Amino acid sequence: MTALRTTLTVNGRPYDLDVEPRRTLADALREDCGLTGTHLGCEHGVCGACTVLVDGQAVRSCLLFAVQCTDAEIRTVEGLADGAEHPLQTAFSAEHALQCGFCTPGFLMLAVGALEKDPGVVRDAERLRELLTSNLCRCTGYEAIRRAVVAAAGDRPAGED
Amino acid sequence: MTIGARLRRREDHRLVRGAGCYVGDLRVAGCLDAVFVRSDLAHGDLRQVDLEAARATPGVVAAWSSADLPFLPDTPPMMDPESVRGRPWPPLATDRVRYVGQPVAVVVGDDRYVAEDGRDAARVRIDALPVLLDPAEAADSPVRLFAGAGNVASEKTFGEPIDEAVWQQATVVVEATYRQQLLAHTYLETRAILVRPEPGGGLTVWVSHQAPHRLRRDLAGGFGLREENVRVIVPDVGGAFGGKSETWPEYLAVVAAARRLNRPVRWLEDRAEALTGPPHGRGQNQRVRLAADADGRMLAYELHIDADVGGYPHTGAFVPMATSMMATGAYTIPQVSVRSRAVVTNTAPTSPYRGAGRPEAASAIERTVDLLAHRLGLDPAEVRRRNFIGPDAFPYDTPTGFTYDSGDYAAALDVALREVDYSGWRSEQARRRREGGVPLGIGLCTYVERSGAGEEFGAVEACPDGTFVALSGCCSTGQGHETSFPQVVADVLGIEPERVRLVERDTAVVPSGIGSFASRSMQTGGAALHRAAGKLIEAARQRMAETCAVPVGEVTYDAGVLAAAGRSMTLAELAGTGQLRADNTFAPPEGFPFGAYAAVVEVEPELGEVTVLRLVAVDDYGVVVNPLIVDGQGYGSTVQGLGQALYEDVRYDPDGRPLTRSLLDYLIPTLSEVPALRFAETRTPNPNTPLGAKGAGEAGCIGAPPAIVNAVADALALDARDALQMPLTPYTCWSAAR
Amino acid sequence: MKPAPFEYVAARSADDVVAALADGRTEVLAGGQSLVLEMNYRTRRPARLVDINRVPGFDTVEAIGDTVRIGPLVRHQAFESGAVPGQLGALLHRVVRHIAHPPIRTRGTMLGSLAYAHPAAEWPAVITALGAELDLVGAGGRRTVAAGDFFLAPFRTARRPDELLAEVRLPVLPAGTVIGFAEHRRTHASFAQLAVIAAVTLADGRVSSASIGLVNAADRPVRARAAEAALLGRPLDDPAVAAAARAAAEQDADPGPQPYTDLAYQRHTVAVLTRRALDQARTEG
Repeated sequence: MTALRTTLTVNGRPYDLDVEPRRTLADALREDCGLTGTHLGCEHGVCGACTVLVDGQAVRSCLLFAVQCTDAEIRTVEGLADGAEHPLQTAFSAEHALQCGFCTPGFLMLAVGALEKDPGVVRDAERLRELLTSNLCRCTGYEAIRRAVVAAAGDRPAGED
Repeated sequence: MTIGARLRRREDHRLVRGAGCYVGDLRVAGCLDAVFVRSDLAHGDLRQVDLEAARATPGVVAAWSSADLPFLPDTPPMMDPESVRGRPWPPLATDRVRYVGQPVAVVVGDDRYVAEDGRDAARVRIDALPVLLDPAEAADSPVRLFAGAGNVASEKTFGEPIDEAVWQQATVVVEATYRQQLLAHTYLETRAILVRPEPGGGLTVWVSHQAPHRLRRDLAGGFGLREENVRVIVPDVGGAFGGKSETWPEYLAVVAAARRLNRPVRWLEDRAEALTGPPHGRGQNQRVRLAADADGRMLAYELHIDADVGGYPHTGAFVPMATSMMATGAYTIPQVSVRSRAVVTNTAPTSPYRGAGRPEAASAIERTVDLLAHRLGLDPAEVRRRNFIGPDAFPYDTPTGFTYDSGDYAAALDVALREVDYSGWRSEQARRRREGGVPLGIGLCTYVERSGAGEEFGAVEACPDGTFVALSGCCSTGQGHETSFPQVVADVLGIEPERVRLVERDTAVVPSGIGSFASRSMQTGGAALHRAAGKLIEAARQRMAETCAVPVGEVTYDAGVLAAAGRSMTLAELAGTGQLRADNTFAPPEGFPFGAYAAVVEVEPELGEVTVLRLVAVDDYGVVVNPLIVDGQGYGSTVQGLGQALYEDVRYDPDGRPLTRSLLDYLIPTLSEVPALRFAETRTPNPNTPLGAKGAGEAGCIGAPPAIVNAVADALALDARDALQMPLTPYTCWSAAR
Repeated sequence: MKPAPFEYVAARSADDVVAALADGRTEVLAGGQSLVLEMNYRTRRPARLVDINRVPGFDTVEAIGDTVRIGPLVRHQAFESGAVPGQLGALLHRVVRHIAHPPIRTRGTMLGSLAYAHPAAEWPAVITALGAELDLVGAGGRRTVAAGDFFLAPFRTARRPDELLAEVRLPVLPAGTVIGFAEHRRTHASFAQLAVIAAVTLADGRVSSASIGLVNAADRPVRARAAEAALLGRPLDDPAVAAAARAAAEQDADPGPQPYTDLAYQRHTVAVLTRRALDQARTEG
């Protein structure tokens, strides 16, 4: 199978790759770009560990082919900290929203995408619930993740500890 | 005091940046990917494995069946070698397959894509044999999985035979059958191993694991290597829950492939493989009988277990023994008889899964106690109180062979009842029963579990630069040892925890170790470090005494500084005069954490949907080193327990083909499934270690399921509860209520 | 879980797509949220994919007269953000919140879901209930199929391998229409076990038309004609709703074996959900 020349722009940096059409974006990021922070947990779009931002939208990188992403702006967990930690990263640690850490990059990118679009999502319990139901975590029981996202938005509704 | 401090985790810094390093993240030059050709039949005679086309597939480097790898050792038993006698488990099937997914051949390629191409080109012919899926049925079946050995791999009894007169004369005898369904561990990172052959015949093995020293022993033993020539390194691990303690057949095949090719080879299990298993967890058929007097005082308890251990007993046969030994839970019961059988079937092999036998034990006794209370018309909290082992009865020898160390079970129950507002909910329940309303139930579980499992290694070294290195034989798989173990050492030494760096998970650096399972890390590994730190102070005082030529008794130690004869030296300065290190292996008795869970549920009457309104968990882990981490363990394990109670279930079709092959079929809780949880604790220190910690990490899987099931049974006011088996799907509840 | 090899064609026009499909061994890659899942499991191995994500105009939603036309690249997410006005838009909005999760909805498409024809998918029952039309375009030209004729069995439709599902046309719901949706599922990560969609038009206090769709209640999406008939000409009151629920369960549904249920429970659930959907329609509009 012939490889196709594809340029991925990840965290602002171009990567020129020769990839087979069947190579998923997740594998291209991990194996070809060396960005292993994006994890593969199920490879069928359910767990969300591979969530990255493509043109600002949170997507499952296991269900996209790298060749589809030429010209797209891709963001991964490696691009989150700009020297200092992103507030979400700080909040995840402070709230103990990670244990084994395998799902964490996916949750972070899911939350970053949503908060950048509309920080108000944390004030709407139903929307926040719906958003964070997108990904799976087997360690934390989720509550700490929810609290971390609320805290990172700088907006902890009254009545919560 | 740093013990008890809610310190943020050091691990997080790398993990939140995507800079963690799991096995799949390693970049090892020239590494190949292995995949497995697997049986698609649950039971059959393997007639032919044709790998011609697989080998001819572009990118495939090698494809081998067992015939090509005659030096491949059999899979070793994890414990209980007697159970595997006559039941060998070749890593690649030789003449018989016994579960769907059993490896038949290994295909190694330049990457996983081409290796899967090769896998799909392999042709395997298997002649089907009759399939056994139920352990009770398999125990008596003329169909044998292993020629020359029965299907019962292990049968054990505990306690004493019960006097028949007890059953005749008791005021009440309740009987029930329970099914502990098969579960999938569902760690987010599936199993993973990377093996690099080293010059001179040695191996470096990176693996997602819980017990690196055991794996080293098994690999060295299997391939005829000296242990020091096998280095096992466990990098970051994406959850384990009991499924990564084992030496799995795939690991042996990958080692064989790497050695044969003299190239690094890795196997990164995918989710399709992981859900198909092995491992699965749980899988017990239980039958109970409980006799009591009119006041609800228990007279005799009988528990029969038929455990489904899958096609090979190597990793699961000992789990029902753990259930047996915890059978009586928190209660004094004069007569107890337990029989457990580990039975091979054509499901994928089982292994310990978070709780590993204790959830099954707690579920059986706790459901039965509630049934007893219901039968007698007594409050289930009161029945429990009348039967608890009293707080002054410790150490307490159970009829099944354990010695409980300490506890105050009634105190934990009282906290749970208060936190959940038990009397308030009972009045609400009475009101609804009177006036109508959605059926509401309250369920309790007062559990005792066991933590520890043997010895652990710990060492502490003072460095001349003022830092300290702690070495542990434990193996963090997400529990935060890098944070909590230094807290223990720093506390003993009286220094800042930031100065202590933990080293574990590398057999080349840590001389020995058992690992992390059975909630043992802090109780045993933490205590070993606690003692090592104490010994370090003693060694330093000795050296200071020699330096100052004074008796040791005149050397004082405070916060990293030794003083004698008007001189003072720091530990760092003393380390500058020669290595200053204390090693120690500590083997405390088993610990027995306990607690009380209370659940309040509504069962929507039309469709049978269960809504958990409140779930209170009261756990007693003894001394807690880092409450942040321990709270997280409680929360996470409780949600896993919720998963078993309501959602999770590995299913097979009648031919033994797994039906739950995706996470759209095998359902673990999402955030939307998590109810309002409330946590509280009591604190009864472990009397057998200087640290005083008991195991924390599996409690929620033990306490939550019976509390929820009891609440549902209470809501539906069920007299017979055998129809109410986990997971409590809406259909299950709907039909149980009819 | 890596896909088998395939050739890749990035289409720039509808003609490109049709030309690519002509060989009969090419599949359309739209959102890919089901197709790539199956390719990762290797339960689907298309020889070639034609990627329609870069075809201009494919992502348009157009209201023309009393019809809303939806193109082949309109993602689920569009129905969350008001792409379709009126009560029809409100119905689609209510339904779409039950389809997978936000990151799936940003990629997955309505027409992809229709072409995939998963038995537990919501959109097929929606368009069946509403009597939508679908346009299929192939080398032989364009043809129109009624939604009721499109779905043949789980994962099987009237679309031929060389055809692109190019458009679905949904009728705008007339004034006075109230809508409801009720779903039964095991967790928020699972497919629907059953679901019911209802759109009921009232004139002078009586039901003048009704569209009721059942998800996963038979081997294909069901338009619950008996339930609709039970409502026609009557006020949307308790007896009418009960009659419709009974009719849906006993006459319209034709359930088959499923995990964690039996046929009696499935019919019972159809009745309960039909009642809930209709109750929602009359109370929330």
